[in-house]
Amino acid sequence: MRVMIAEDNVLLREGLVRLLTESGIEVAGTSGNADKLLVLVDDDPPDVAIVDIRLPPTHTDEGMKAALKIRAGHPDVGVLVLSQYVEVGLAMQLLGDSAAGAGYLLKDRVSNVKDFMDAVGRVADGGSAIDPTIVSALISKQRKRDPLDRLTPREREVLALMAEGRSNQGIADRFVITLRAVEKYVSSIFSKLDLPTTGSDSKRVLAVLLYLRG
Amino acid sequence: MGTAVPPTAVVGPSPARTPDFWLVLLVSVGGALCSAALVFLAATSESLQQRSVSAALGIWLTAPYIAGGLVAWRRRPESRLGLLMVTAGFVIWANFLAWSSNSLLYTLGAGVQFLVPAVLLHVFLAFPRGHLRSRLDRAIVAAGYGAVALTLTRMVLGEGGERNLLAVVDNPAVVTSLRAVQLGLVSGLLLIGTASLIRRRRREPPLRTPVGVLAYAFSLGLVMIALLYMVQLFAWTSAIQNVRYATFGIIGLAPFVFMAALLEARLNRASVGELLVDLGVNPGPAELQEAVGRALGDPSVTLAYWLPEFDSYADVNGRQIEIEDLPGRSSTPIVRDDVPVAMLLHDSALDEEPRLLTSVCAAIGMTIENAQLQVELRARLEELRGSRARILQAEQSERQRLERNLHDGAQQRLIALSLELGELGDRLDGDAELRRRIDAARQEVTASLAELRDLAHGIHPAAVSDHGLAVALESVATRATVPVQVIGATQDRMSEPVELAAFFIVCEALANVARHAAATSAVVELERTSAALVVEVRDDGIGGASADGGSGLRGLADRVEALGGSLQVWSPRGGGTRLRAEIPCG
Repeated sequence: MRVMIAEDNVLLREGLVRLLTESGIEVAGTSGNADKLLVLVDDDPPDVAIVDIRLPPTHTDEGMKAALKIRAGHPDVGVLVLSQYVEVGLAMQLLGDSAAGAGYLLKDRVSNVKDFMDAVGRVADGGSAIDPTIVSALISKQRKRDPLDRLTPREREVLALMAEGRSNQGIADRFVITLRAVEKYVSSIFSKLDLPTTGSDSKRVLAVLLYLRG
Repeated sequence: MGTAVPPTAVVGPSPARTPDFWLVLLVSVGGALCSAALVFLAATSESLQQRSVSAALGIWLTAPYIAGGLVAWRRRPESRLGLLMVTAGFVIWANFLAWSSNSLLYTLGAGVQFLVPAVLLHVFLAFPRGHLRSRLDRAIVAAGYGAVALTLTRMVLGEGGERNLLAVVDNPAVVTSLRAVQLGLVSGLLLIGTASLIRRRRREPPLRTPVGVLAYAFSLGLVMIALLYMVQLFAWTSAIQNVRYATFGIIGLAPFVFMAALLEARLNRASVGELLVDLGVNPGPAELQEAVGRALGDPSVTLAYWLPEFDSYADVNGRQIEIEDLPGRSSTPIVRDDVPVAMLLHDSALDEEPRLLTSVCAAIGMTIENAQLQVELRARLEELRGSRARILQAEQSERQRLERNLHDGAQQRLIALSLELGELGDRLDGDAELRRRIDAARQEVTASLAELRDLAHGIHPAAVSDHGLAVALESVATRATVPVQVIGATQDRMSEPVELAAFFIVCEALANVARHAAATSAVVELERTSAALVVEVRDDGIGGASADGGSGLRGLADRVEALGGSLQVWSPRGGGTRLRAEIPCG
């Protein structure tokens, strides 16, 4: 797996490089700003580009713009956006009309090595990684006559993991239950929420997020 | 009040002397006698064919200039046009002395013959102020008067036969060519004069009245005289009589039009009197400006109030304005007790009515004090609003800087630290106790990061500055305690203070909904008009909220007002709450 990184904080950038390298991932290029990242990606597209949302010169939306550009120009390159703060609106903006190969996480998540590597892997494989903060905010969002009330507590947990972009196998591993059991939960959730069953995991993520967003 | 003096010297129009009654009477009687003399001259003339027609024509061309000129002189002495017209009348009259069989009178009349086009040029070009304005005009008129020398030369060379007392030699050939030269020269001058009039009309704003425009239209008369001369020069005999009558008609009518234009209604004291009645005791700044505009017949009038403490001029709303030299605009100072208190900015055409300007300025000088105080008050409010906006802006920048420091400084370091801890924990295989403690430390750091994030967000909502209102409001709506529908949020960015104000308004309004409204849902609606962002938050709760109740709403109102906007709350008991803010954005 080949990864490129755009992060202006040297400490963090080097930490990330070390972390990825030690996990056996090739870091094919690093950059302190958005423009250089775009050049690197154009020259030799990696599997994943990890982008800090705040990059020079203004430290506002340069990273986000670069991420959207890569997603538009290189559909095969996964984009994982890291941010100091997470916003539902930004997550939806990043996904656009497809959750394939897209990730949006709080920067803090890098410290949980296993989870973070899992997220990078999912995004590289065309899956998604949505920060749990966003998912939990969306799940607890107030709705009129909330259909989520019909879900059992365990079904809610499974729904949240689906929204984060995890596969059935990932959910099974997390709860230490069988894949078969997960599939049962998923089909129950979809029928309770009147959601059409979808093909790929990333389509499922988008459908669930859009549903939760209301 | 301070002692500052406005940066414009006070220059009033020069005082004008009205001719006294006896002088007017004398000139009138002189004019009447001259008219009678014309009838006598025509009746006794040996050279005239149509005596009665000629007499009538003579009076038609003379009397209007004398009579019209007298009225204009008496009523508008500051324009010397009246005096000039009277003079023109007598010059035209003198030209008819050439009808006489008496040698002296004939010589006089023939001598001034070509003074007529010169003096007419002078009158037309000097309208309406009474003096020539451009170097070209002065040159044309001087050349016109100078051309009389050619007449005298012709007479010395024997033109006109025995009645000519000036004849020294008899040289008809030279006389004929000289006459041709003179006719050509004078026609040319008349045409140049007309061109100058037309050019001036294009360049300068006209007197904005129908009569004023009509007066300029009479420059056609100059062309007609030129034509008349050219008819003689080139011996075009056909239609000469029609041209002649038309020319005389126009030339004779011109004085009436000039007089009417000069006397036109807006000058008169009546309009100043009406102005005083209009103003009442204590007119406000805007009323005063409007009334002055009416009195001067110039709706574009602007009153610039001098504010000594601000050392500047201000408009009726207290906003500072510069007195600039603009084409077509003039300024006249308004003085009270020898101290300039304001500047009247008006159409340059009014410069031609200095007396009207003086009377109006004097009239408002008496009542302006109150308006000036009001403008000063408004200027202070304006200043206050400006400093409020600056304070708000300064606070905002400081908060933003703090948030940046937290996010990009402390937070990044902590993330790097927790990353390090995470890696360390991952590498420890055997020692379960150590691994547990490192993991606990990592989670402690993660918790600190979350707290730091909340703190930073409380200091400054970075998402608004970085990504705009639409993105930031989606999170606010998601976290709200009741279902919230957001309408009209677009990705279009507005200025940061506007976006922040809108964001805080929605946050505070939704927080109030959560605390007091007992609502089941709320709507946030944004609308971008050409001049403002309108933010409306409505709920279906119990109502009864107030913007003055010491709630966070007061602070929001302050913020919005500092940006020049307004915040209103409707909250009837039992009828829900509707909060609407209009935030100006350019």
